[in-house]
Amino acid sequence: MANRILSIYFVVVCGLLLIPTLKAQENISNNWNTEKIRGTRLVPYPAANGDPYLTSKFLPGEIEFNDGVKIQDVGLRYSCYRDELIYFNKAISTQIVIDKVSLKSFSFIDENGAPRLFRKQYYDGFMSGFRFFEVLSDGGISLLVYRKVGLLLCDVYLDDSGKQKNMSYQKDYSYFFYSPKKGYTFVRISKSSLLSKFDKTDQILVKKILRKNRLTASDEISFVKAWNLIKENGIKINLNNN
Amino acid sequence: MKIVVLFLLFVVSAKAQEEKGITLLTDRDLYISGETLLLKVFVPSSRYSGIISIDLINQSGKKITGIIKEIRNQQADGFIVLPDSLSSGYYLLRTSTSAINVLTIKEIYVSNRFIGLPLTNSGLRPAGILPVTEIPNAEIQVNGIEKQYKPGDKVKADLRLPGDLLGQVDGDLLLKIAEVIPDFKTSTFNLKTVGAKKQIVNHQGILIEGTVTELRSAKPFKNAVVYLSIPDSLPGFQYFITGDDGRFYFQIVNYFGKIPVVIQCHAKDESQLLKITLNDPDSLKWIIPRFETQPFPSGLRKRVERNTDAITFRKVFNQPEVTEQPSPVIKRDTYPFYGSPMKVVDPQLFIELPDFSDISRELLPGVKFRTYNRIPSLQILNMAMFNYFSDPPLVLFDGIPTQDLNMIKVLGSADIDKIEIIQNERFFGDLSFPGVLAIYSTKGDYSKIQESDNLIKLNLDVIQPQAILNYPVKQTETDPDFRQVLLWNPSVKPAQLIPIEFQTSDIQGTFKLTVCGKTKDGSDFYKEQIFEVN
Repeated sequence: MANRILSIYFVVVCGLLLIPTLKAQENISNNWNTEKIRGTRLVPYPAANGDPYLTSKFLPGEIEFNDGVKIQDVGLRYSCYRDELIYFNKAISTQIVIDKVSLKSFSFIDENGAPRLFRKQYYDGFMSGFRFFEVLSDGGISLLVYRKVGLLLCDVYLDDSGKQKNMSYQKDYSYFFYSPKKGYTFVRISKSSLLSKFDKTDQILVKKILRKNRLTASDEISFVKAWNLIKENGIKINLNNN
Repeated sequence: MKIVVLFLLFVVSAKAQEEKGITLLTDRDLYISGETLLLKVFVPSSRYSGIISIDLINQSGKKITGIIKEIRNQQADGFIVLPDSLSSGYYLLRTSTSAINVLTIKEIYVSNRFIGLPLTNSGLRPAGILPVTEIPNAEIQVNGIEKQYKPGDKVKADLRLPGDLLGQVDGDLLLKIAEVIPDFKTSTFNLKTVGAKKQIVNHQGILIEGTVTELRSAKPFKNAVVYLSIPDSLPGFQYFITGDDGRFYFQIVNYFGKIPVVIQCHAKDESQLLKITLNDPDSLKWIIPRFETQPFPSGLRKRVERNTDAITFRKVFNQPEVTEQPSPVIKRDTYPFYGSPMKVVDPQLFIELPDFSDISRELLPGVKFRTYNRIPSLQILNMAMFNYFSDPPLVLFDGIPTQDLNMIKVLGSADIDKIEIIQNERFFGDLSFPGVLAIYSTKGDYSKIQESDNLIKLNLDVIQPQAILNYPVKQTETDPDFRQVLLWNPSVKPAQLIPIEFQTSDIQGTFKLTVCGKTKDGSDFYKEQIFEVN
């Protein structure tokens, strides 16, 4: 018993001795890390019904820069309206739009505890350019979503201050299968759209999997589950099918 | 109890590993001032990745020159150009890393090219030290080396590594053939540093440390913003906000050769005058060994005289010993640290304007540069809010932040290559810039930025680029070959059979082939073979 107490005491003392050194190193490395984040002040968006952001508040997450440097535990909020990543700088109490050009990816755990990963990729379709795509399922062929929110015309309504308005933030998400070779293939969140990406013979297998697992593929969660099961079963997707 | 014993064993073994010094090898033991010294280091453990300093130290412990190398695959190789002005005597070559508190020191003798050896025929040599001794590996075979060659002979030989050793070799081998002087051999020894280890370990790059003090009281200044700028096409930039001790640290990573660096500090309250002081980069504390007078071996003077003639010839006929390889191209950034410019203006495309007030008025919409009562002021339009920022923007001259608007005021079209403007609030870490005005001069030499108490300009030696030994390409009868190092290959890939090819020079004397390496358990091995050229 005495030996056990002695050993625990010894390990604790050694651990305590190490803490100041590690702490000093950590503080300085933190200072160096913050220098990496560059951006501009967030200009408030027009007030309207709907939500221009993906999450209702800033959530701690990780950002990865083009050079591979990662910074963890940064308060992040993704703007679907402008396709930009905003972080809250606690030291200067400012919301900063991080330069998209400097970023490679970012990730965070959402309010429901689900991990969310966004990757910057070049989109060569209409309105080409670099966009943040959320990775719903990764692999040789990834399932991506571009979570676009537009400020669009809607029925006239009265806002909180009693002003009449006819524009609101509306979701306009686009889903894609992406492979580095074939590029982006648009897909709708529906069973028929999913089936259309397979050859006739494979469609029977896909239907069987969906039926067996009671998946309708009519909403995002079900669609992602269905796609993951299809991948697991090794059914080959044909991105030439439209 | 078992846990305690295991823990103690771990600590002891870790300590023992730490205590092992670095292996330092040079091409020769004797040099003439103005020559180039070639060196190779083997680091004992993979834990010591990062950078290593190799310095030339005189007998009073003062650093004369030095290099910094990147440790790759637990090895590094480089060269030191011995200054022409070195007086004749023994010097110490010292390796140090911030992670190892054991210094490896190798003594070398340098004879001044213009004075030669002292008439006393003796020199002060380190004494009372325990040299590192290594036993040659008898299993390594060198085949095809004769006992004697003639000047200019082309030699083909090979090196055979035994299978057991081959499986144990860690990294590359060093293969060298250089002239040796019989009865003259310098030694290598290990010494421990004295005092506390550095708080920050420069694992990745060159560490620059210093202190900001208040100019009048000389007390450490808290919350000073220290900028480090590296002028370049895409300027490098770092900052540090000082704490209670006024200290700051910067790490310069992935720069090679000699780079210009500007370090400056500012207080939030501009009326406070600050002073910036850099720490001595050679702040290692160690006990310098005792030096004792020892006579030179009999044949040394003759060899030194001949070698002096050889190096003088090589210098006169511009035969450099090594050729520096181009520095690796490292893409550090894709856009400037202050952001992608919203407007870029080349004033030389327009009518010539005499000063910056006219340039801003005529060519830079949204930039208000005015002079009232001889005091210049600068404001930039905030495009997001459509009003002018109340605070002055970040002004950069050739990539270096400056607050001296009087210097900017006199710049005319002819002085400016381009002006980059950012008309929104930019953030760099915790720093905020109400707009950015970056002026790039036609000269690009940032000479208009003046050194002061709070601004230091440096020409910093960073990581030394790789170099290769020059071999004669075409030999003519009128072009003598005075190489003392016939072969220097610090990166030989280990193999069972390693071919060796070299050509003897016109230097006659004793030469030694040496192959050295390191095994995975951290121990060194070597093999030597001597031959004569006459």
